Amino acid sequence: MTRARRLGVRLAVAAAVACAGSGCAVIPVGGPSIVNDAGGGDPLSKPFQRMIATPPQPTWDAEQVVRGLQAAMAAYDDDPATLPLYLTPEARAAWKPTGTVTVIDDAFQVTYADDREADAGEERKVSIKARQIATIGDDDAYVPSPGPAPEKDFTLVKTDKGYRVDKLPDGLLLTSSDVARAYRGTNLYYLNGVSQDRLVVDRVWLRVRPTESFARTIVERLLKEPSAGLRGAVTTGFPPGTKVDSVRVGEEDRVVISLSGPLYLTKPDALMAQLKLSLNKNGMAIGRTIEVQVNGEPFASADRDLDQGWTDNGGNTPFYTDREGALHVLTDDGSGVTVPGAAGQPNPGFRYFALAKQTSGLVAAMTSTGISITTLTQEGRWQQVIQGDPDKLTPPTWHRDGSLWTYDRKNGVVLRYDPQSGRGPERVAAPKLQGLDVTQLRIARDGVRVAVMTGRNTVQVGALTGGAAGYMLANFHLLTTVEVGGEILDIAWGDGEHVLVLVKSKAGQSLREINVGDGETVQLPLKDKLTYLAALGERILAAADTDKGTQILELNQDHQSWTARLEATRPLFPLS
Amino acid sequence: MPPTKNARARRRTLRQILGGVRRRVRRAAGGARSVWRRSLQLQVVTSTLVISVTVVVVLGAFLFDQINRSVLESSRQSSVSEAFADRLQIEDALTPKSDDQSKPSDAGGAPSGNPLDDVMDTVTGSGEDGSKKRYDVLILNPAVPGQSRASGNVVPENIPLTLRLNLQRNGKTVAYIDRVRFPGQSLPRLTFVVGGLVHEPVTGQTYQIYHLFPLDEEEQLLSNVRLAIVVVGLGLVLLLAAIAYLVTRQVVTPVRLARQAAERLAAGKLDERLKVRGEDDLARLANSFNEMAANLALKIHQLEELSQVQRQFVSDVSHELRTPLTTVRMAADLLYDAREDFDPMAARSAELMQAQLERFESMLADLLEISRYDAGAATLDLDPVDVRDVVLRAIADSEALAERHATRFELRLPNEPCMAEIDNRRVERILRNLLFNAIEHGEGRDIVVTVGADRDAVAVAVRDHGIGLKTGEETMVFDRFWRADPSRARTIGGTGLGLAISREDATLHGGWLQAWGQPGEGSQFRLTLPRVAGADLKGSPLPLVPPEIEMRRTWRGHMTPVLLPATGDGAGHDEG
Repeated sequence: MTRARRLGVRLAVAAAVACAGSGCAVIPVGGPSIVNDAGGGDPLSKPFQRMIATPPQPTWDAEQVVRGLQAAMAAYDDDPATLPLYLTPEARAAWKPTGTVTVIDDAFQVTYADDREADAGEERKVSIKARQIATIGDDDAYVPSPGPAPEKDFTLVKTDKGYRVDKLPDGLLLTSSDVARAYRGTNLYYLNGVSQDRLVVDRVWLRVRPTESFARTIVERLLKEPSAGLRGAVTTGFPPGTKVDSVRVGEEDRVVISLSGPLYLTKPDALMAQLKLSLNKNGMAIGRTIEVQVNGEPFASADRDLDQGWTDNGGNTPFYTDREGALHVLTDDGSGVTVPGAAGQPNPGFRYFALAKQTSGLVAAMTSTGISITTLTQEGRWQQVIQGDPDKLTPPTWHRDGSLWTYDRKNGVVLRYDPQSGRGPERVAAPKLQGLDVTQLRIARDGVRVAVMTGRNTVQVGALTGGAAGYMLANFHLLTTVEVGGEILDIAWGDGEHVLVLVKSKAGQSLREINVGDGETVQLPLKDKLTYLAALGERILAAADTDKGTQILELNQDHQSWTARLEATRPLFPLS
Repeated sequence: MPPTKNARARRRTLRQILGGVRRRVRRAAGGARSVWRRSLQLQVVTSTLVISVTVVVVLGAFLFDQINRSVLESSRQSSVSEAFADRLQIEDALTPKSDDQSKPSDAGGAPSGNPLDDVMDTVTGSGEDGSKKRYDVLILNPAVPGQSRASGNVVPENIPLTLRLNLQRNGKTVAYIDRVRFPGQSLPRLTFVVGGLVHEPVTGQTYQIYHLFPLDEEEQLLSNVRLAIVVVGLGLVLLLAAIAYLVTRQVVTPVRLARQAAERLAAGKLDERLKVRGEDDLARLANSFNEMAANLALKIHQLEELSQVQRQFVSDVSHELRTPLTTVRMAADLLYDAREDFDPMAARSAELMQAQLERFESMLADLLEISRYDAGAATLDLDPVDVRDVVLRAIADSEALAERHATRFELRLPNEPCMAEIDNRRVERILRNLLFNAIEHGEGRDIVVTVGADRDAVAVAVRDHGIGLKTGEETMVFDRFWRADPSRARTIGGTGLGLAISREDATLHGGWLQAWGQPGEGSQFRLTLPRVAGADLKGSPLPLVPPEIEMRRTWRGHMTPVLLPATGDGAGHDEG
């Protein structure tokens, strides 16, 4: 009896201590425990702000009505109901919102055709004067078009509820702020034409839709055609008729993309690479597994890391040529290693060295009689493959399929030499280059984009279309130009998206990094006088005439300053 | 008027249905009430359930209210302060700076034309490195074109109208909790909306700033809490009911056993005892019960012995008195025979002695008969007999006495024989007793003797029209030595044991002997005997109350006309 009671007391005390020690604490101290890292924010969209269109007020004058109409145009895609409130019934019936979107400067001016105030029922003519900045086409391509825009004329009628717009030009008129607010420059990735083993970037400007995730907007756009600049030059892994059912975050923080359509016809690899890169490069679904479901069944999934082959640049070792025309490898510690074979020997008179894909080990150079190639082996000997006047041929450029390209200015044709075919150089159609003074031809590392310098003051960008049936250079559009008196010294492909242009003008030299998709230009700082450029992705090398002689400089990671590497005449990277 | 009749019929039917339903409900309620009244366990469990449900509901409501209030309050506080901070930021951004030119723009990116866009980028996190905020913002300025902004998919229609009106009227910061259906969402979301005004001092414009904070998480949390409270409360109530059931079972089971034991004890099983387990109150109750039962049994045993001794004494005294009485009788007979030789006084004494001796003898015989019954020694000598013959014999025996009292018999006999298995001698004695009794109390009026029979029983009723019986005397007439009026002399030499013996005789047959009487109406005695000896009687072929009395009562409307023999029998059944 006593023993039992003592036991009971002990148990009660133990329970009280346990309760006071842990269970009764508001937040018990403890750990460590494994926690799930994922879930930081929404991986499928980014925050954005929108213009809210407000209806016209009876007290507004004509200028305010036109400004309100412009604001309603900015909000038209989200809220198509407010804009018609600004219009008379006739204008409502006649006006079409579709077509090219005109982007104008923020500080646009509204001018009146006359000074008098209109009475009720009378018309008032008003026009918008502004600097046009760009247009956004139906293909979502953002095309810079600097210069004054044609005046947009509006006719307003005074009604009992205030001014209403009676006549207005078709299409939407947005300011650059409107575009910055509602559009996102987006990189889409398609497959290169023939081999379909590398992704090609297409820059489009997509409108953010408030009712759906931006990831879905990207995927839906990816299923459509590329923009005009790449039309006919790239293909896609998605068979025609593919539709997006949903894009959502599934279990284990996977991003699940539900598609429907005849996807069983296609190989999942290319498709997944397109999806993965198109989402990740635009800040969507970063660090997450992407899973594609077709008609509710799992189809394929892409892990965090993408196979490097899809963005292969054909090698990333920098090379340079010295004063004697010998080719060296630029090592990381800043010294040079001579390449084996003929290319490593002094080659006086050889200029414009170009390296093919590193795995093929071929190098080309311009000689006094044409273009010769050799291999980077001990047995490598120069062999002339294209004959011609070196002044009439553009510096050689290698395609990632192993062919050598140049433009014969004498005959006005593009020449393509394939070392594996055993035949001589063949001609490639380039109707848009007819009659132009092509001074440089550069094929990008993706094998699709082509940059062409015409004369000494213009750079155009086109694409290699046609595929296996026969190449054609087409889809050219102006990338940059320099004013009279200036000249372009050199061009180089950075990555598939950017072209570096070295410009010399009266004010001095400048180095522009231009996005071929939307013409976005970044001026890179210069210290010394540069002569030649070579770039691979973020890495930019240049030959400069310094007070210590001709040196190779490298742009630092911060893109602000240059570091001298060694004395040499010209840097180069494989391809391009 | 057929419709009325129909309606009435329908009403009656409806009333009948309702009545049926009411009856059934009343019956069920009665059943439940009786179960409730009989089960202590049910009462305890039910009241525990009711009390615990009340307590749990009150506590749960209080608890949930507290949690609800604290969760909402903290969320409200943080939301309101965030909204305030944002409004300050917006106000600051909208106020034109005097040193605008000298101040460099924010490092966030190139400043756009409109300060509203910049501050919205900051507030909503839609800038370059912004992260998604948990809330959405709407800025409305309908008076100026293009000065309204929103983040996410908020539209002005999402703001509750009362909030907007309130804000515009009072100009003070207001808050509202509402279910808001955002565009592109199928379900409305619980949202905390905070509205405030920002004034721009230079132009005098007023901006309405609305912050929309989703309350989904809080709602989810609170609904989880509520579910937990409900589940726990339900579990608690069930647990308490189970505990109450177990506890009352511990108490009620011994009580029930005690009740059953008491019932058995009451039924005469004097050796019934309770099992005693432990030392608790119930064990002590069982102990006391057992002691009580033992004492009771002892007392009953003693009383039985005493009664036995008394009966034996009466029997012995009767036997012992017979011998001297015989001698006295012989002597008295001699005296009586020789009375004519005595003087008149002595002769009268001899006559008196003779008469009283006869009475003494019959009393002694009756006493012996009664003591035989008490000793259980009385046996039946059964023969199938026509009861009518028995009645006629008894009447013949009584004729002489009747003539002396100037009383006539009225016989009501059935035509068919009324055969029954009876002891001829005893039944004749009963009838003789009844007839003598009727003559004695009949005051010279007619005596009606009725014989009746049915399938199971035969009955004889003897009706006199004398002074009758007072209320309560119907049973007392069968007591030994009972006398209606103690002052009245026994004229026909009754011993006071006749009706008692008659009743014992009837009981020995398994029959009933019952009396009815009313002051001034006379009385009726009814003998009912089963046709087969030992069969249980269910009723009597004759009514106990004479039909004419019954009829008179009916006419006066004092009673329902349904006074059938069975009713009277029921009353007499208990006595039999």
